[in-house]
Amino acid sequence: MPAMTPQYRIAAADIASGLSAWDMWGRLGWRENKRRYRRTVIGPFWSTLSLAVFVVVLGVVWSRLWQQDPKDYMPYLTSGMVVWLLLSVTISESCIAFINLETLIKQVRVSYTLLACAVVWRNVIVFFHNILIFLLVAIYAGVAVNAATLLVVPGLLLFCINAVWVVLLLGIACVRYRDIQQLVTTLLQVAMFVTPVFWRPTQLGGDLQFVVQFNPLYHFIEIVRAPLLGRVAMAETWYVVAGMAVGGWTVVFFLFGRFRGRIPYWL
Amino acid sequence: MASVILENIVTEFEIYGMRPSLRVALLNRAIGGLLRGSGGRGRGVVVRALDNVSLQINHGDQLGIVGHNGAGKSTLLRVLAGIYEPLAGRIMVEGRVSPLFNTWPGIEHDDTGYENAVTCGLFLGMSRAEIARKMPMIESFAELGNYMALPVKTYSAGMLVRLGFAVMTATEPEILLLDEGLGAGDARFAAQARKRVEHLIEKSSIMVLASHSDDLILQMCNRAIMLEHGRIVADGDPKEIIERYRESTAKAAEQPGVEEAANGEDGVGVAATTPSAAVPA
Repeated sequence: MPAMTPQYRIAAADIASGLSAWDMWGRLGWRENKRRYRRTVIGPFWSTLSLAVFVVVLGVVWSRLWQQDPKDYMPYLTSGMVVWLLLSVTISESCIAFINLETLIKQVRVSYTLLACAVVWRNVIVFFHNILIFLLVAIYAGVAVNAATLLVVPGLLLFCINAVWVVLLLGIACVRYRDIQQLVTTLLQVAMFVTPVFWRPTQLGGDLQFVVQFNPLYHFIEIVRAPLLGRVAMAETWYVVAGMAVGGWTVVFFLFGRFRGRIPYWL
Repeated sequence: MASVILENIVTEFEIYGMRPSLRVALLNRAIGGLLRGSGGRGRGVVVRALDNVSLQINHGDQLGIVGHNGAGKSTLLRVLAGIYEPLAGRIMVEGRVSPLFNTWPGIEHDDTGYENAVTCGLFLGMSRAEIARKMPMIESFAELGNYMALPVKTYSAGMLVRLGFAVMTATEPEILLLDEGLGAGDARFAAQARKRVEHLIEKSSIMVLASHSDDLILQMCNRAIMLEHGRIVADGDPKEIIERYRESTAKAAEQPGVEEAANGEDGVGVAATTPSAAVPA
């Protein structure tokens, strides 16, 4: 590790002040949600409603298609979709996280980490609206509620710790290379189908298990979904997600130290 | 005691939109080291907005910045505000800085005046308690009455300026940075605003004002600098500097072609060069 040159000290201060300003990013995320659904009657529940239509229709048809018990398949599909929405919308919004705030960034010195936290928080708020659908499905299907359910708290927390560095990384990269946003959109579409959201890893067969095991998105989904379904996620999932947090933040710190000062110039 | 010291500040804008971005960068990565190493073509167009600027601003200085469009006035203010980090050089700022540029930070047109005042205040470094304490002051200065509870998109341009101005001056900065823009609003507000700024200048120990208005500089500043192509070409009494600026404007008017060529819309000294360094060392 190089000595803390001023750039790295500024980067560290940006991260520390950004994370601790929960008051500020809490407000920004909350207000952004309010603005998006301004003058609608049911507000963010539109997201919930569209998800409800999606999982009911898909759940009924696909449980028949794959000859699965709806009481088993529906909770799996719903929990998977709720977490997938949190993950994919956060990633796609990260690409415009800083580009959209050009005016602000050129107006006042601001912590980029704070802005990243606001993006994650906004999506977590939507997640808590969407989780309502899962609760209804869980009651219908009689999903087990046990000690493992409590793991949803550390799981979600670990998820968010990762989400913040992802937003920072993609946010900065997209400011510099505008192609990345298109690339990410394309990849996300494919990822939805190769990640076990609608289907179970066991359906894939032994020879293709690597598609699941080496897909970090699977572990990010699983760490929140497993406890929702009343099971404990596999140890390797916890290792992967925790490892990604450490690795990701290390990469972002160095990237940040090197390029943070260039962001306003790139905008 | 507030003070600002700039030593050999250089800022450069790399203009990327000129070629397909990622493809070129990847190609450069693949063959680039060699090309650049052998003194091949640079990576694109670089605009040097500030070129080796050294400046000391002392307690009590009310500094006016004059210069043609693209001379680097706004860039210099943004360096002082800590927004643009210089590519080279050192900057030391002591004191709470408050930038008052043409719009205000964090403005959301669907939010009410109150909501925007809070968001903006937070971005400017005030705490919620501080904002709540100063809200009556902000209300009375903005003179918006019941409009404060309406979305700011219903405001006229003048009302918007009044509110932004009220919030930003409520931060009681030690170093006040002003960029033009005080023009909007009616005459009565302009007079009030000037009074408010004068009051602020008394309290804040340093003011830096970039403006095209000779009168404004003469009235509000006790020192002025003139920027030309990103360099400080004159520093001294506002009267002398304004005179010099008028001379150079007159000269430019005689040979407009030359001036146009030298002063691009976005900056100065446009040249195809390799950025001297990607990152400040």
